[in-house]
Amino acid sequence: MLLRGQNSSARYLLRRSQSLSRQSSHALTRLYHVTAAERAGQKECDIVIVGGGPAGLAFASALTANKALHGSVEVTLVEGGDLSKVHDWDMPPHAFSNRVVSLTNASLDFLDQIDAWQYVDAARTCPVEDMQVWDGISGSRIDFNAVSLGVGRGPGSTQMARLTETLNLQRGLLRHLSQQPNVTLLDNTKVENIFNDDIPGGGWPMVQLSTGGVLRARLLVGADGINSPVRTYSKIDTYGWDYPTRAIVATLLHPPRTFSPNTTAYQRFLPTGPIAFLPLSPTSSSLVWSTTPALATVLTKADPAILASMINAAFRLPELSVRYLHTRLLEHPSLSPDDLRAEIAFREQAHAIAPYSAHASANVNPDDVNVGIPDQGIDAVPPLVARIQPGTIASFPLRYRHAEAYIGTRTALIGDAAHIVHPLAGQGLNLGLGDAASLARCVGNAVMHGSDIGSHTTLAPYARERYFENHKMMSAVDKLHKLYASTAPPVVSARSIGLEVLNELEALKAGIVGAAGGESNPRSSPSSLWGTVTSGVETLVDGARFAKVVGSGLKSIAGGVLQQVARAAGTGPGEDRRG
Amino acid sequence: MPRPFLSDALPRNVRCAHSIIANLRAFANPNRYSSALHTAPPPPLPQNGTAHPHPHPRISTVNDEEIAHFSRLSKLWWDERGEFTLLHKMNPHRMRFIREKVLEVLREDDRNDDAVALRMRDSNRLLNGLDVLDVGCGGGILSESLARLGANTLAIDASAENIHIASQHAAADPGLSSLSFRHTSAETLLQEESKKRFDIVCSMEVVEHVNNPAAFLRSCAELVKPGGHLFLSTIARTPLSYLLTIVAAEKVFRLVEPGTHTFSKFINPDELIGFFTKPLNEGGRPWISRTYAYGLPTRVEAEVRGIVYVPWRGDWVLAPRATTPLSTQANYLFWIRRPKENV
Repeated sequence: MLLRGQNSSARYLLRRSQSLSRQSSHALTRLYHVTAAERAGQKECDIVIVGGGPAGLAFASALTANKALHGSVEVTLVEGGDLSKVHDWDMPPHAFSNRVVSLTNASLDFLDQIDAWQYVDAARTCPVEDMQVWDGISGSRIDFNAVSLGVGRGPGSTQMARLTETLNLQRGLLRHLSQQPNVTLLDNTKVENIFNDDIPGGGWPMVQLSTGGVLRARLLVGADGINSPVRTYSKIDTYGWDYPTRAIVATLLHPPRTFSPNTTAYQRFLPTGPIAFLPLSPTSSSLVWSTTPALATVLTKADPAILASMINAAFRLPELSVRYLHTRLLEHPSLSPDDLRAEIAFREQAHAIAPYSAHASANVNPDDVNVGIPDQGIDAVPPLVARIQPGTIASFPLRYRHAEAYIGTRTALIGDAAHIVHPLAGQGLNLGLGDAASLARCVGNAVMHGSDIGSHTTLAPYARERYFENHKMMSAVDKLHKLYASTAPPVVSARSIGLEVLNELEALKAGIVGAAGGESNPRSSPSSLWGTVTSGVETLVDGARFAKVVGSGLKSIAGGVLQQVARAAGTGPGEDRRG
Repeated sequence: MPRPFLSDALPRNVRCAHSIIANLRAFANPNRYSSALHTAPPPPLPQNGTAHPHPHPRISTVNDEEIAHFSRLSKLWWDERGEFTLLHKMNPHRMRFIREKVLEVLREDDRNDDAVALRMRDSNRLLNGLDVLDVGCGGGILSESLARLGANTLAIDASAENIHIASQHAAADPGLSSLSFRHTSAETLLQEESKKRFDIVCSMEVVEHVNNPAAFLRSCAELVKPGGHLFLSTIARTPLSYLLTIVAAEKVFRLVEPGTHTFSKFINPDELIGFFTKPLNEGGRPWISRTYAYGLPTRVEAEVRGIVYVPWRGDWVLAPRATTPLSTQANYLFWIRRPKENV
C-alpha cells in the first residue's frame, strides 16, 4: 500500500464524515471541534514523520509493530524524494552500493522485534566476527574476536555486528511498511512550511505540503537530517563543528581469502583520519577513509587504480611513507598508476618489506595472492584490493552536530536531525535506530494510559533516555578522532600503551564486548560495544585509564546508581530547551 | 463538637497505629490532626427530585475560596512545565492504576473468560463504552485520558474558568469526541431527574479541597452504578506529607502555588477505609465488608496504593501493591467498588 500524493483523500473524507456524524450528538459541547474540522484542505494526523531515511522508516515500523497503537494511531510519513526508487532498488548479487552501515546486535534485535529484519535481503549482509584496530604511528593493535570473546546473537552466532548497505536496510523497512495499515507514505512531497494552528487551546504544528494539503499533527517527528525543518520550526539550536576531513567511500573488489572468511573489519588510525575496511561478501568490501579534503579531492578524481594502490599502501606501509605518498600525490595529482606503484615499491624496499610479505602490495598481483601458503601476518591486514567497483567512489564532509534538545512543543527529533557523529565507530545509524525504538516505546506507553502522544509529559522520557546516552557516545567518538589525529610522541605512547594494556586484558575485553552481546536490553544503548571501547579511550585521555580497569569490576554494583545519576543529569539539556 | 463518627468503626489495631501517628503529629497545632472527615457533620439528606436552577445547590461541598484559588490558576492548567507539572507527571500513573483495577475486576467477574481480560490487557480502548464521571476535573488532565481510552466521559468542575479552559483545550483535539464538560457539582448531578449513574467515578486530588468531605464522598459514591468503581486520590495527614506537600513543594521549591493545600483537610487512608466500612445510607450495605492486617480491605473491595514523587527521576512512582503502609504516608490513590445489587 504505497500511497502517493493525494490517493488517500477519499479515505480521509470518509473518515472525516464519520467523525462529523459522531460529533453531532455532542454538538453542544463540541462547538469548537466542529469549526476546526471544517477548515478546508486540512487533515488531522496523529503522527507526522518528516523524512524517509532509515531513522524515519524505522520509527514508523516500530510504531506499526506496537499492538497498543493498532487502530488508534495513524502515521503519515512525508518524504521529498521518490521512495519507489528505494522500494524497487535492485543490484546484481556481486555489486554493492557504496553507503554501508554497521548494525550492532542491539540494533538487529530491535529490527527483529519490529518484524522488519525479515524484509532485509540477508544475502546482502555480512557478519563482523573480528575487528582489528591499530594505531597508525606506533602500530599498537587491539583485536576483538567474537569467537574468543564469546559474543553473538544467541547460540551458534559469533557476530559483533552486521554490515549491510544502507539501501538494503531502507528497502527492507519500506517493504515492511508497505504491508502495514495505518501508515500513509507521502513521497515526492516536500514540506514547504510548518506553522502553528490558531485554534484556542491548540497551537499544534501544521505542515504545509508541496502537493497543496496541510497536515495538522498531534506529534511531529523530525527525521529530516542535518538541516531539519522540524528542528527549525521547534526553535532548537544545534552545536557542533565541521571536521577538517572528508570521508571517501567506495566498494572494493578483492580475491577471496583462502584460510579465513572475509568477516574481519579493519581500521587503521592515521593522523589524517581513520581508514576502515568493512567486509560485505567474500570478494567485496566497503571503504570509509576519512582524510584531508585536498587528498579526498585528488583521490576521488584520480584513476581508480591510484585509489586502489593508495588503499593497499595505507593499510600496510609505515606512517612515514603513507604521509610521503600523500604529499607526493598532492604535488602531482596527475601521477600515473604505474609511477605510484613504483614509488610504493621503493618505499617497501626502504622499509625492508619482503616482496611476498603480507605488507607488500606494489608488485603483488592480487590474483596470485592465494597461490601457496600465505604469509603469517596475512590476517593483520585486509585483503589486497584488486579493483574498485566502477561508479562507487564518492566523498562527503564529516561533521559533529548535536541538537540542544530532542523535543519541542509537539515535536521530537530523531536520527541525523538530532545528532551527527564521525563515522569512525559506525555508530550514527545505530544511534538513530535507538532513538526510533525509544520514541516508539514512549508513544506506546502514552497510548496505553490515554495520554496525549504529543504532550511534553509523553515525550520527556524520550529525551531523558536518549540525550545523555547519545551524548556520551558522540563525545567519545569525537575524542577518539582527536586523540588519534595527534602525532605528539607522549600522546602516541600513552594511547599505544593504553590500547595494548586493553588488548591483553581478555576478561575486560570480553566484558566490553559482552555488554554489546546477544542479550538485548531495550533501555541500553544499541551501541554498547563501541560505547565501552570509546569510553575506555576517553578515560585514557583523562589520564585515568587504570580507574577504568578497577571501575569495570565495580560496574555491576555501581552501574545502576551511576546510570540513574547520569540519566538525571541528562534530563537537563535533553528536554529543557524549547522555543 | 460533633461525635467523631468514624473512629469507632476502626478495628483496634488501626486505632492503635492511628494513635501512635497521632502522637507523632503532636508537633502540629491540634486542629491540624483532627480528621476533616471526623469533624464533618452528617449532611442533611438531599430533597428528592428538586432540580436546582443554580449550579450549586444550597447543600454544597464546594469551597468558594478553593474555587477562587483554582480559577486564578486556570490559565496555567496546560502549561506542562509550569504550575501543574507534578499533576501532569502524575497522570499516567493514575491512569495505570485505573487500568489495573478495571482489568482486575474484569478478571474477577469473568473468572471463566480469561480471553476477554487478556484481550483487554493490550487494548488501547479499555474503557470503551463505559460511562465515566470525573468530578473536579480542573483543566481536564485526567478527563482527556479517560476519553482517549474510549470512555463516554463527563467532566465536571465547580469553577467556570476551569471548565472554560478544559473545554477549550479538549476542543483543539480531534480525538476527544466522547468527552464533554459541565460547570456543576456532584450534588447537583445527583439531584438531576435523569438519575444518570456511572460505571466509573473519579475524583482525583479533590477531596482535600472540599467542604464537608464526608458529604462529598457520599455524593460521589451515590453516582456510581452498582458494581462500578470509585477512584480517589488525595494526601495523607502525616508529618511526612506536611513536609513534602506544604513545606517542600509550596514553600521551599515553589513547585506548587502556596496555599494550594490545607494540611488539616488531608485525609488518611484508614479514615477513607473506615468511612466505607460503615453503611453510607441508613439500612444500606457497607462497601467494605471486612478488613485485615493494618486495617486493609480485601483487594476486590477496595485498595490503597501510595504514589511517591522521586525528584532525581523527575517522575512519580506508583508503589507496588505489597509495600508497607509507609508508602501511603503522603500522596496515595484509593479505589473502591460499589457492591453489586442482589448479591
